[in-house]
Amino acid sequence: MQVSIKWLKDYIDFTETPEELADKLTMAGIPVENVVHTGEGLEKVVVGKLTEVRPHENSDHLQICTVDVAKGEPLTIVTGAPNVQEGQLVPVALVGAHLPNGQKIEKSKMRGVLSMGMLCSAEEMRLDLDALPESQKNGIYILPEDTTVGVSVKDVLGLDDVILEFELTANRADCFSVLGLVREISVLTGNPMHFPEIKVNEDDAADSKDLVSVSIQANDLCKRFSAGVLKNVKIGPSPKWMQQRLEGAGIRSINNVVDVTNFVMIELGQPMHAYDYDEITGHSLTARKAVKGENLHTLDDSSRVANGTELVIADAEKPAGLAGIMGGLESEITEKTTTVVLEAASFYGPNIRRTARSCGLHSEASGRFERGVDVTETPRAIKRASQLLQEMGACTVCKNIVDVYPEPVVPVKISFTAPQINRRLGTKLSGDVMCDILKKLGFGIETVSDESYTAVVPSWRNDVTRWEDLSEEVAQVYGFDEIPSTTPHGRVMSAGQSKKQYFIEKMKAVLCSLGLDETASFAFTHPSMYDKMQVPEDSMLRTAIPIMNPLTDEYPLVRTTLLSSVFENVVRNLSRKNEDVRLFEIAPVFYPKSLPVTELPDEVMKAAGIITGRRAPLGWNQVNDEVDFYDLKGIIEELLTALSIKRYTVEVGEHYVMHPGKTAVIKKGNDILAYIGEVHPAVAEAFSVKKKMYAFEMDVLTLMKHSEEHFNYTHLPKYPAVSRDLALLVDRDLPAMDIEKVIKKNAGPYFKEVCLFDVYTGKQVDSAKKSVAFSLLFQSNDKTLTDAEVDEAFGKIVSEVEKLFGAELRA
Amino acid sequence: MEEKIARLKQEAAEVIRKHVDSLSQLNDIRVQYLGKKGEITSLLRGLGQLSKEDRPRIGQIVNEARAQLEALIEEKNTQLKAAELQQKLDNEKIDITLPGRKAWAGHLHPLTLTLNRIKSIFMDMGFSVEEGPEIETDYYDFEALNLPKDHPARDMQDSFYITEDILMRTQTSPVQARTMEAHEPNSPIRMIAPGRVYRRDDYDATHSPMFTQVEGLVIDEGICFSDLKGTLELFLHKIFNENIGVRFRPSFFPFTEPSAEVDISCVMCHGQGCRVCKGTGWLEILGAGMVHPHVLEMSGYDPEKVSGFAFGMGVERIAMLSYGIDDLRLFYDNDVRFLQQFK
Repeated sequence: MQVSIKWLKDYIDFTETPEELADKLTMAGIPVENVVHTGEGLEKVVVGKLTEVRPHENSDHLQICTVDVAKGEPLTIVTGAPNVQEGQLVPVALVGAHLPNGQKIEKSKMRGVLSMGMLCSAEEMRLDLDALPESQKNGIYILPEDTTVGVSVKDVLGLDDVILEFELTANRADCFSVLGLVREISVLTGNPMHFPEIKVNEDDAADSKDLVSVSIQANDLCKRFSAGVLKNVKIGPSPKWMQQRLEGAGIRSINNVVDVTNFVMIELGQPMHAYDYDEITGHSLTARKAVKGENLHTLDDSSRVANGTELVIADAEKPAGLAGIMGGLESEITEKTTTVVLEAASFYGPNIRRTARSCGLHSEASGRFERGVDVTETPRAIKRASQLLQEMGACTVCKNIVDVYPEPVVPVKISFTAPQINRRLGTKLSGDVMCDILKKLGFGIETVSDESYTAVVPSWRNDVTRWEDLSEEVAQVYGFDEIPSTTPHGRVMSAGQSKKQYFIEKMKAVLCSLGLDETASFAFTHPSMYDKMQVPEDSMLRTAIPIMNPLTDEYPLVRTTLLSSVFENVVRNLSRKNEDVRLFEIAPVFYPKSLPVTELPDEVMKAAGIITGRRAPLGWNQVNDEVDFYDLKGIIEELLTALSIKRYTVEVGEHYVMHPGKTAVIKKGNDILAYIGEVHPAVAEAFSVKKKMYAFEMDVLTLMKHSEEHFNYTHLPKYPAVSRDLALLVDRDLPAMDIEKVIKKNAGPYFKEVCLFDVYTGKQVDSAKKSVAFSLLFQSNDKTLTDAEVDEAFGKIVSEVEKLFGAELRA
Repeated sequence: MEEKIARLKQEAAEVIRKHVDSLSQLNDIRVQYLGKKGEITSLLRGLGQLSKEDRPRIGQIVNEARAQLEALIEEKNTQLKAAELQQKLDNEKIDITLPGRKAWAGHLHPLTLTLNRIKSIFMDMGFSVEEGPEIETDYYDFEALNLPKDHPARDMQDSFYITEDILMRTQTSPVQARTMEAHEPNSPIRMIAPGRVYRRDDYDATHSPMFTQVEGLVIDEGICFSDLKGTLELFLHKIFNENIGVRFRPSFFPFTEPSAEVDISCVMCHGQGCRVCKGTGWLEILGAGMVHPHVLEMSGYDPEKVSGFAFGMGVERIAMLSYGIDDLRLFYDNDVRFLQQFK
């Protein structure tokens, strides 16, 4: 909704500047998005007459114009626009003009010819292009032939106006009209409105009721249908003042009849339609549901096949228009039209909305019906339109209005008390103050008893249905700023986060402390990601939920793995030459219970990440190696320790994105805590990454399940520990974990811990062997151990590893 | 004899003072004079050959000489040790301007940091943190919030649909209804629900198809609009600063009545008017209102017994204003040079 200040001032006086008015309306819940001063920047643009137009000799597209601006010598102006001709009247920006698009006009030489100004296009003057005919949208704007040379184009184009652009909320249907806005301004300023008296001189010889018949067949979709007939219609342009008002409202002038219907729609909020009487078969109009398969031929000259839910206005044979959205082409008002049927009806909003959406036809009319129109207004709208056309001398008005209104609405009555409203608002207003506010807004008030009332809701406020709505009316007019600020008092409740939320917070903190950066990614993905990640064809991960209406082709699916997002982030960073990338994300993935989706999917919280690049930040005193598998494993082990997850096992794992020889699965019982591994070279290649990347993936709830929140501390030992090193030569392929297990099993009662501190393969040992060295720690809680006690345990271990693995003790 | 002692003493003192510059030399001197076969020691041994009369006197002189020499050696020893330590310290000097040994420091995402601040302010006020699914039913996302199908207010939010009745949630408000349903009817609620929401908006500097919201809901007996004002003013003063201006502007949401948009004075220009606030001096920061009685009814609460207020805010917007971020896309771009700026 947009409207000019001039139009508002036709019906109410106010002294506020447009900006002040906009502020007042905004603070009363009628938001003004923009205040546009239409003529701004056009102060030095005048009407000029092109007395001569000749081609520029040094250019194949420039033309040199001699322009009479009725003041001083004619100006020489060079233009590149092809549409100029001698004798035309055009807007001329004089030297010194500062156009609304920011352009400053100066004397300038164009290919050797001095140009003393510029001829302007509609766009350069920032005219509302939507309100212009096609021919005026490009090239120099051509003014009417009867325009006075030398005068300001602001005056000629009526650009001395200010436009308020509203961003109205869906509830205030009543403010989608000049009348509604004026009503609000009247409440806010206290000034009375002076709406013109509506009166028509009816032609007694002709009766609308005899000329046209109206009926409603779809009572649920059409509450009221009013029609009036105009005879001896002379189609022509509407008066300039009306064109300017409409232009200010963003509506293009078409002809007097159509302009008047649009004018009344903006003025009263009641959409109207005008039919060429002679093109209505049977001179009857019926509001009915479309028959499925029926052809709908609308004004925009497009044909649609009805699906049977649309409401149409049909003549005796066929639909003559899509009710409330667009008229039919056959009964369109043309220059030949002499008799007109005016329609003003009340259609059911949700149906109009559905049809408008399915046809992709959103009009000023459909927008108003969607929000709801005042059902009492239809006869007034017919009269107002008749009056305006009659005042232009464009018709005679037939007597009576055909008005079909099967179930007249009963005004809504709401009981309320002043304490009730005060309790909702936290105010201490008297009943009188509340009633005054409501009365100003057009509500009727009946006093029931002290502080207890009945409000009668005005017909245009169909958004007000219960006493809580009245509290809003009172609060808005009283002013939100005037309401005090307090804080709630009430019972103490369990506050804070859930165990899961705290657990996730801790995971994030630990991963950050281990040097990983947290990311946030869209929950969407693309099927090609599954190919790049080598997700097996039969994997359930590929059954991702498709979005019915994705924004772009880039993200048609809801992700089933967090790794797709992590890869995108890592690859994006690497492509920007960020060499050291260590990222993680904790977010849900979405597993459908079935496809197509029939119920809400499972949302499963995952943690995933990738590290690549240097082991430590580049520095003179750093080992500037690249990270490897064990850096990642260390990170995950630290994380598990910090989360109090103990006694897990590490096995050779298999994961689609990971290198088959460098993948571990960390388990607790049968539950998988994590997959960690080097990214498969083929996956890296699919993402065009040359560096080695190491990825992990975990399930948050599984981790939480195994996190041991409670533990008892261990007493500090009183007796010294004894340390022994065990260096063994074993088969190269023997997993270190297997040796550790044997050590632990045979280390006797005083064993404390074992640490693998060296692994060696190379020249010093057989190529099929490796050397591994463990540091063992023995300690007793109640005595100092003797060498013999430690020797016994050590000897047992040695003999077992020799027996089981053919290990050889190294000196 | 006495002369010999005096000469020895002087000679030793001379050598110690002038010719000894290391601990080993000093030790040689000590051995030479005070060792088992040292010159002073042999003098002491020779005392027995002296006459009875001379013995005490000479003995005393020799002992004095020895004591003096010992003191001299001790003094020199201290000097030399100090010099040696100094030498060691001088040799060990390093370039303390060389950079320290760095470790990788990870960073929480700026949205997490901002959300953590928001959560902690509300948790301090006794709010619980609730959650709901990101893929929602039309019922919870719209209908339970007083937005029936074909309601024009649905235009405010273009949604990503999965089916006719299942969609990516467009707001965190559905957690309101879910939380109320999980409670005993009319029992008090004080919660926030942070989460990711989805709208079919073009991806540009101020719009994103996915963003983060925090919903809030307070229900109890006697909750009123002034409580909403007070609570949100408290929050805004804590998350921004004590001096920030706050205004409540009437608005419309289908699920609240009365409804308000909450503005803060522009954090960039302090209310003077700038590009960020489009010259108005105000920034829209929150939507809020008294819970619509129909919303309470639909979730089994009785609007005659209890009332409540609800509010919602965009975490990106608060983060952008807090850190002066001018492009929303940076949050989802995850460039480490961006992420690593947030501590």
